Amino acid sequence: MDIFVSFLLAIISSMLIDNVVLSRFYGICPFLGVSKKVNSAFGMGLAVVFVIVLSTVICWPIYTYILVPANVAFLDTITYILVIACLVQVVGLFIKKYSPSLYKSLGVYLPLITTNCAVLGVVQSNSDLQLDFLMSLANALGTSVGFLIVIVIFSCIRSRFESSNGPKAFKGLPIALMTAALMAIAFMGLKGMI
Amino acid sequence: MERIKNKKLQNLFKGIIKENPLFVSVLGTCPALATTTSIEGAIGMGVLFSIVLICSNILISLLRKLISEEITTPAYIVVIAAFVTIVKLFSNAFLFELYSTLGVFISLIVVNCIVLGRAEAYASKNNVLDSLLDAIGMGIGYTLALLSISCIREILGSGMISFGKILTFIPRFDIPILKYVNSVGEVVYDYSIPLFVQPSGAFIVFGAILAIISAITSFKNSRKKIKEKIMLKEAK
Amino acid sequence: MPDWGYLIIAISILVILAIVFVVSFILYRKTPVPKGCENILIEKEKCSVCNNVSCPIKRKENK
Repeated sequence: MDIFVSFLLAIISSMLIDNVVLSRFYGICPFLGVSKKVNSAFGMGLAVVFVIVLSTVICWPIYTYILVPANVAFLDTITYILVIACLVQVVGLFIKKYSPSLYKSLGVYLPLITTNCAVLGVVQSNSDLQLDFLMSLANALGTSVGFLIVIVIFSCIRSRFESSNGPKAFKGLPIALMTAALMAIAFMGLKGMI
Repeated sequence: MERIKNKKLQNLFKGIIKENPLFVSVLGTCPALATTTSIEGAIGMGVLFSIVLICSNILISLLRKLISEEITTPAYIVVIAAFVTIVKLFSNAFLFELYSTLGVFISLIVVNCIVLGRAEAYASKNNVLDSLLDAIGMGIGYTLALLSISCIREILGSGMISFGKILTFIPRFDIPILKYVNSVGEVVYDYSIPLFVQPSGAFIVFGAILAIISAITSFKNSRKKIKEKIMLKEAK
Repeated sequence: MPDWGYLIIAISILVILAIVFVVSFILYRKTPVPKGCENILIEKEKCSVCNNVSCPIKRKENK
């Protein structure tokens, strides 16, 4: 029971309180580059959730059972990036072969997930903080779902301010960053939750 | 001879203002927002980033005829990851304070869009000297950009500029600007805004800088248009 | 284990990973694109904000 509670608390804290985009700053590029369409933002977010959780599940055993016993823990970064890149290729291969409709909506953007820093950031911080498997999984799940939530909210807001008539200098990125700042302040209010 | 020299200089300086990786092409935003709470952290990040960029650009430009078209991206990722590991071990050994402040963001240089982007767009097509100059220019440009964001954030957020906290080889001293603590330890005056060292402050500062830059460029463009109109009228 | 033992392990881990990566990369390239997806149109507005030069979509556009 205790394990379950701490698992849940870890998920909530990495999802809302220490949000990936708004307080840890992983994955700003896809966050700012996300489209105005809520649907494609949701698809991108789901793909990121899948890749983050799967790469954590694969990378944690590699780090704990191969790299640490062999005394080559310094190879972690290079191993993780290779594993993530492999994973993205394999997932892309399956999508290409078995689900043309999914490929149509997501295919071209799949290679971009490799260079999404949220994926490497989560896996790397798991091994930097020496988390056990359950906590790593909680961190991965919480972080990726937090990314999904923020990216969907942001695409909703974005569709509003793109059509509104703001100052000329703030068109595009600056106003998006200001919106992100307001969102970060709002998420700061959730700090008292735990 | 003069022309060749000019071209090399242009190669070096284009990364600093004209094609600044952070402010003009808006790449590498993650470390730019996360590591700029203090000036020292920003300088450290910029220097480590520049080392990785310069080394990987040189090696990729040397290997550009060996790497076949099929596997360019994987090869680049491996090269960059190797240099990042070297830099990480180096900072862990000699600058431990910096290593623990930057944390994951040293590893995240691997997926930084600038390094991969320069490797693909420049180093894979040009000779070693040109790619070296390009990498130095881009590195300096990125470091200066980080420095400008962190200056604003540290001065407004903590009210003073402190040295020696993160880069421990510098003697420790503070320059009070908006906040002054006297030798006994009591606060004489404090006009700092703590919001700016928090995550939301990073977004505000970066957004404001981008807005200023876009205002300047649109002002320049409009002046150019007016000049062209005047020229046309005079020609008539 | 001798001092240089871990070096061999490190190099072999890297080589294995690199081989797996290259194989998966080539397999992904060789897999035929499903029908109806040969020419997926790029939504310009989707890419207007992001300036990622290494992005495969942008590279296609530049060519």
